[in-house]
This record gives sequence, structure tokens and C-alpha cells, in this order.
Amino acid sequence: MDGIIEIITQFAAQEPAIFALIIGIIGAAVLSAVVNVGAMLVIWADRKVMSDFCNRFGPNRVGGRWGILQLGADAIKLFTKEDVIPSGVDKGVYVWAPILASAGTMLVAAAIPFGALHIGGKDYPLVVANMDISAFYVEAALSIMSIAVFMAGYSSNNKYSILGAFRGVARMIAYEVPMGVCVISVAVMAHSLNLVEIVQSQTVWNAFAQPLGFIIFIIALVTDLGRVPFDQSEAEEEIICGYSTEYSGIRWGLLYFQEYNNFLLGSILMALLFLGGWNGPIIPIPLLDIISPMIWLLMKVIIVIWFIILVRASLFRLRIDQVTDLGWKWMLPLSLVNLGWAVIIGSYFA
Amino acid sequence: MTNASEVLSSIQSAFPGAVLDSRVESDRRLWATIDSNKILDVCKHLSSKLNFDHYSGSAGVDWIARKEMEVVAIMASHGAHQVVAMLKVKTPRENPSVKSLTGLYWNANWYEREIWEMLGINFEGHPELYPLLLSDGLMGAWPWRKDFKGYPDLTTGERAVAITTTEGYTEYHFPPTPAEIEAGTVVTQRPKYPSFREREEREIKSDSEMIMHLGPQHAMVPGPFLLDILVEGERVKKAFLDIGYIHKGIEKIMENRTWLQGITYTDRMCYVASLSNNECYCGAVEKILGLEVPLRAQYIRVILEELSRIQSHLIGTGEFLTLIAGVGFAPWQYMIMDREKIISLIESVTGARLTHTFVRFGGVRNDLPEGFAEQCRKDLPYMKSRIEEFIELFAQDPIYHARMENIGSISAETAKRMGCAGRVLRAAGVAYDMRREDPILVYPELDFDIVTGTRGDSADRIDVTLREILQSIRIIEQCLDKIPSGPIKTDVKIPKKIPAGEAYYRVEDPRGEMGMYVISDGGDKPYRVKVRGPFYATFQTLTPLLEGVYIADAVAIAGSMDGCPSESDR
Repeated sequence: MDGIIEIITQFAAQEPAIFALIIGIIGAAVLSAVVNVGAMLVIWADRKVMSDFCNRFGPNRVGGRWGILQLGADAIKLFTKEDVIPSGVDKGVYVWAPILASAGTMLVAAAIPFGALHIGGKDYPLVVANMDISAFYVEAALSIMSIAVFMAGYSSNNKYSILGAFRGVARMIAYEVPMGVCVISVAVMAHSLNLVEIVQSQTVWNAFAQPLGFIIFIIALVTDLGRVPFDQSEAEEEIICGYSTEYSGIRWGLLYFQEYNNFLLGSILMALLFLGGWNGPIIPIPLLDIISPMIWLLMKVIIVIWFIILVRASLFRLRIDQVTDLGWKWMLPLSLVNLGWAVIIGSYFA
Repeated sequence: MTNASEVLSSIQSAFPGAVLDSRVESDRRLWATIDSNKILDVCKHLSSKLNFDHYSGSAGVDWIARKEMEVVAIMASHGAHQVVAMLKVKTPRENPSVKSLTGLYWNANWYEREIWEMLGINFEGHPELYPLLLSDGLMGAWPWRKDFKGYPDLTTGERAVAITTTEGYTEYHFPPTPAEIEAGTVVTQRPKYPSFREREEREIKSDSEMIMHLGPQHAMVPGPFLLDILVEGERVKKAFLDIGYIHKGIEKIMENRTWLQGITYTDRMCYVASLSNNECYCGAVEKILGLEVPLRAQYIRVILEELSRIQSHLIGTGEFLTLIAGVGFAPWQYMIMDREKIISLIESVTGARLTHTFVRFGGVRNDLPEGFAEQCRKDLPYMKSRIEEFIELFAQDPIYHARMENIGSISAETAKRMGCAGRVLRAAGVAYDMRREDPILVYPELDFDIVTGTRGDSADRIDVTLREILQSIRIIEQCLDKIPSGPIKTDVKIPKKIPAGEAYYRVEDPRGEMGMYVISDGGDKPYRVKVRGPFYATFQTLTPLLEGVYIADAVAIAGSMDGCPSESDR
């Protein structure tokens, strides 16, 4: 194992450009595969956990009694459906909105470490673009989805869609700010904006070091993902399907899928920033010790996903004015309080 | 306590000669024919002096043999006394016209519109005489007149006129057809009025306002009705309601079916409350016949009606909660699951899950099965614990309070004036329940409370509904203890032809006060059946409540009415 790493390191030192290119291509391929398959599993979990919580069965026909292949069947159906573009829409914007949403998600995924490999007493983080400001970059790239939502709603030429789009943007603005402040608070304690370094610096989980920030971040995250109680932009009882009312077939599928991509990535971000990422005791079993950081991260991510799913089944939806009220009047001041706390604690222990 | 003969003598002394004909049926029922010129004065007198503050509805009757039409206004009081005054006004069949009561009673609006479009009786002074249930194409046909032939023509079997267009399609027209009108071969009596769309668009004042459709196909509506809201941003400025999307003409159909067949149609008015509807129709017929129902049958009816109230309340509450929480909301699934237990209990007796057709004139169809009481005693305590759990769950949920409190509030005075029914009225703090006001069957012997709210908002409506379920459980438990053995049907042979007469019978439907006005002319079919639906009454109050609220609140208010458009359209 050491030999292989030595060869790779040597190659990287000799031909840095080619090395970066190869790593980039491999990374992009692995990334899209991992993220999209992961999101499919998240959709499956969403349906299955929800139905369990509601005393239903959920998907249980396609792929055995757990309905594991249901998503594949749904995807095939969406791909083969007629692609309807209504005549009144702003066609360019309408067509590009789902693509922008997908691109935005992949931009987020590029900077997120999906865990680390523990080789030879050292952690090698699995991240495609290990940039210095990755925490801030990820938080910003997550909000590209809101732009796509606005494009989709605005171009649809539909009253329900435009209301959904407006609601989506109003909500995004109100919650991106406290979310950003929370990321800064974490960075202040870690003395870095790099997600890998933030994880490595968490000897105590940030959830315990700054509990207020933890709560604000998870509320802002649920808002960002547009799930109950913050799903005003697609509240079907009020505005049919919100911004995606006029979409059908695979374009609708893409928009829908990106929500779950973001769900997965947001949950990973949550685990990285506040739950100690892949930190945890190394399992002293050969081979398992290599991936043991990933096992820890996976467990934390699953808990976050599970929590967000259960929130959907148990809470009422807030009204849009209550959402913005909560965002500006409570979340933002409290996140600033949390920033002050982080500065004090961070400089005391520095 | 005021009784019917006192009311009659008070009218007679205040307006000598105004009462043309009268009949005091009992302490609680007064039938009087009033001079059509004095009806407004008499109503004013009733509402100001005698506490008749509840305009419960009105019915139009076409007496084709006597060449006259009748409008029957049903007046009652919100708890001050228990007299129901049925005030009839006669008008000739040619150009029928009576005075409108909308100036006195706000909620007379819809009832009079309905009579106008169905029978063609003009109401002088009515502010908006537009069609309510019928489509524009049927206006002027006056379908509830006795000489209406129908499409297809009941006498000849012809369908509506088919016209082949130049493109080769076939269009069906209700007569008169456009060609006939153009040729001038038929006299069109179609009244002139602005269409729904035109009335709506008149209200748009600026470019920033738009009209949004909530319905007839929308995730919010419990059945098809059109709720259009004029919005500016997220604010609703005005709401427009158009009903009649599932108008089945049940009242007219029942005139063409035998008395017994009529029971099946009452089921279809509102399938979650079909037992109450059965009871209402059968009770009215029993009243005409003067039948005494055996005690055991009375208890069986009460038990089943209360069970049906529980299941109706559960689905009504659960559906409403999904409107403000999304379909993934777990308590809704649990309510449906609990409702299934109640449905199974009813099914074990009646054999049907929703449309029971169980109540018969003078009794019930069959007896309770073996082990019904045991099963009830097992399920009801479970149900009680679940309902208490739901009440506690919502009481401690901050988002629930943020979304529901002070949303769609009605004060007790307004609720009375607007003529709301059922949980909307009781949530406003008016203890008005037919089981107390106009007790039927064995209700006077049972001990139960009438649940009321204080604020009259959506939260109160849910709270009242859930606590009413607890009262229903109490009633059923008492009935199970008290139920005697004996016959389940009266010994009297029910004649095929019901003797001539009329009756007005009221029951407490899950949605509130339901009344049926049944007239028999001695034939084997009812001469006229008028249904006073509770949701029809409540529905009318929806549009004023929606002015100035947010779109999300519009959904929360409309849902809290526990709607059943099927019953309001009939």
C-alpha cells in the first residue's frame, strides 16, 4: 500500500497538470455516480421511513418487499414520458432551469469531502476540489438551487408557479444569511474555511461547542431544502405544485431529483460542520480500519437524513410571512449571538 | 318559554289579517301562510320581538294544480326558544314574484337565488340574483317546476338537441338551440345577468392583482367547487365562490321515485354522513304518518348516528390537517386508521361502509348483530384515549397555534347572523345543537354536553370537533347500557301511498343542523322534498371570511369548515 502511494506522489510531483486532470476526471465520474445513487437511496428512504412512521407500507412491489427498485422504475417512467413544453412558457429559461439545478448540485458535490480513507495512520480525505474556502463555497453553491427554482417558476407563465418562485426566493434570502453566519462561526473556531480542516479540528463536536449555531443551521438547512415545515414554494394544498407545476416528464424528474441531491449533500455538510465529520475511533479490523472514517460519517449522515424525514411527517407547514419573520427576527440575531460566542470560545482555546 | 301558539297570537295581534291560514302542529312547529305584502313586516316583528334570529332556509314549492307557487321561509331561534316557524308566501304561477328577505337576513341570499334559478320565482330587492347551482345554459328552463320535461325529455325520451358542426363534431344543446333563437321560432325567457367570470373580472382594479383558481380540481377542495381568489402578492383581496359542480338534482329525483326509494338518494347527498341523512328523511315521513318508532329501533338509530358522527369528524379533521401540513402528515394517517375501526363497527350492522340505506320508516332495517356491544365496549375506550392524545398533541404544537389561532375567527353574533351551522357555529360559542333544540328519538334521555369554543377560529373548530367525538362516545356508551330488547320495526303497515301532509324534521348532522321539508299529496311519490343542508349554510359564509387573509390562510379557513360540497350541491 505504501508503495502505491509513493508512486502516485512521485507522479504528482513530476507531472502536476496531468495528475490534476486525471484526478479531476475520475473524481467527476465517481462523484456523479456516488451522489446520484445516494440521492436515489435518499428518495427511497424518504418514502419508506415516512410510510413506516405513518403506519403504511410504502413502495413494496418493485424489487422485493422493500421496494428497493421502485426508484429505477420511476426513473424509467419519467424518461419515457412525453416531454411537454407548454406553448406559453419562456422556452429558453424553462429548459435551462433543471439543467442549472443539476449543475449547481454537482458544484456543491465537488467541494464536499465524502469521508476519508485511513491508511497508515493518516486520513486521506475523499474530496474532488479541496479548496481553502470550501465551507463558504458549498454554502453559496447550495443556493444555486433557489435560482433554478426561480427560473423554473418565472418562465412557466403560470400563476401558481410564479407564487412558488417568489416564495422560494423570499425564503432563500431570509435563511441564507443566518446559515452563512453559522458557517463563519464554525470557521472561526476551526481557524479555517476548509471543510477538511474544519473536520480535523473538531476534537469536540461543534454541535456541543456551539449548540445555538447547530440548531440554527439545521433549521436553515431544512429551509434551504424546502421540506416541511418550510415547503411553501411547492405547497400542493395551496399552489398545486409551486414552481414545478408546468413541468412534466424528465424535466420535472430532474428538478425533483436535485432536491434530494441537495438533501443528501446538505446532510453531509451538516455532519461535517457540526457532528465531527468522519472523526471517530478506528475499527481495529483489517480493511475495515481503512474505511472506518467513512463508516462514521455515513452513520452521522443517515441520522441527519432520518431526522429531517421525520420532521416532515410530524410538523405543520408555516405560512410564508411567518417563515420570513422567523428568519429575519429570530434566526439572524441568534446566529449573530452564536458568532460572538464562537469568537469568545475560539479565541480562548486558540 | 315561548311556544308556537304564542308566536301565532303575537303575529295575529300585531298584524291583523296578515295570517291567511295557520296550523299549530306542536309546541315547536308553527305553519302559517302570510299575506305576501306583509311578509317583511312579519319577519321584522319575529326577529326583533320574538328572538327569531335564525333564518334556517327557504323552500319553493310549485303547486301546479292550484296554479300558484309557494315560498316557505323556515325561521328559528338560536337557543332563545325552540319554535320553528314555517312561513308560507303564495304567489301566482304566472310571473311569480315575492319580496326578498335578504335585507333582514344576510344568509337568505343563497336560498333565494336557488329558488329563483330552479323555479323562476323572482325576488324583489335581492341584490345579486345570479345562478348558483345551475349552469348558464339551463337558466330559464326552471327545472324544478312540475311541468319541466327534462333533458332527456322524460315523456318522449329525446336527448338534448344534437347539432353536427361543419368540422364533423356533434354538439349537444339544451333547447332552445342557438339556431332556434336566431330564427326567432322560440320565445326565449332567459334572464339577463353578468356571468361569473364577468362579475369576477369587474373586481380587478390594478395590474398587480390576479385571480387564482382554487378548484374545482385542486388539492385543497374536499369535492368539486370553484373558489376563485383575487390576490395581490400573497394577500387575498376578495373571494368568489361558485358551486353546483356536482349538482345532482336529488330533490327533483326524489319526486320521481317512490317513498322508499327516496332513502337511497339521501345516502348519496353526503356519503360520510349518510345515516343522518337517512334519519332526516325517514323522520319527516314518520312525522307525516304519525308513526311511533319502537324503543329499540330508536336506540339503534342513535348508536349508529353517533358512530357515523365520529367517523365523519375524524375524516373531516384529518383531511383539514393535511391541508396545512402536507399529505405526509402522520396524525392524518392515524385518524384514518382509527376511523376504520368505527367504519367496521357500522359495517357489521348495516353491511355497507358508506352508503347504508339503513333507516326505515318506523324502524331500522335489521337488528344489531351478535357481539356488537362487546366490540363497541372494546373499541370505544381505545378511541377515547386516541382522541385525548390528539387533543394533547395539537395543544402543545407551536406551529399549529401559529397557523390556526385567530385564523378565520367569527364572533358569536356574526356566526348567528350569517347562519353558520355545526362546528363553525359552536366554535364561535353558540351552543346550538339539534339534539337539544329539537330532540328526536331518545336524545332527551341521554346525558351529554354541547361543546363550544370561545374564539371561533380554526383551532377552536378542530378542538370542538375532537371534543364532540368524546361526547358521542359518551352517548353510545349510555345507549349500550340502556338499550331494551323488543321489536325493531313498527307493527303498523307502512302504506305505499303516504297520506297528504307536510312535515319539517331536523337532525344534528355531523356538519350541523340538517332539515328536510317533505310534502306529500297523497301519492306514492313525494310531492316535494327540500333539503336544508348544513354545509350549504356554512359554505355561504366562506367568502367574507377570506377577505384580507394570506393564501395559506384561505386554505386553512376553507378546510376548517369541514366541507362536503356533495351535500351542499345535492
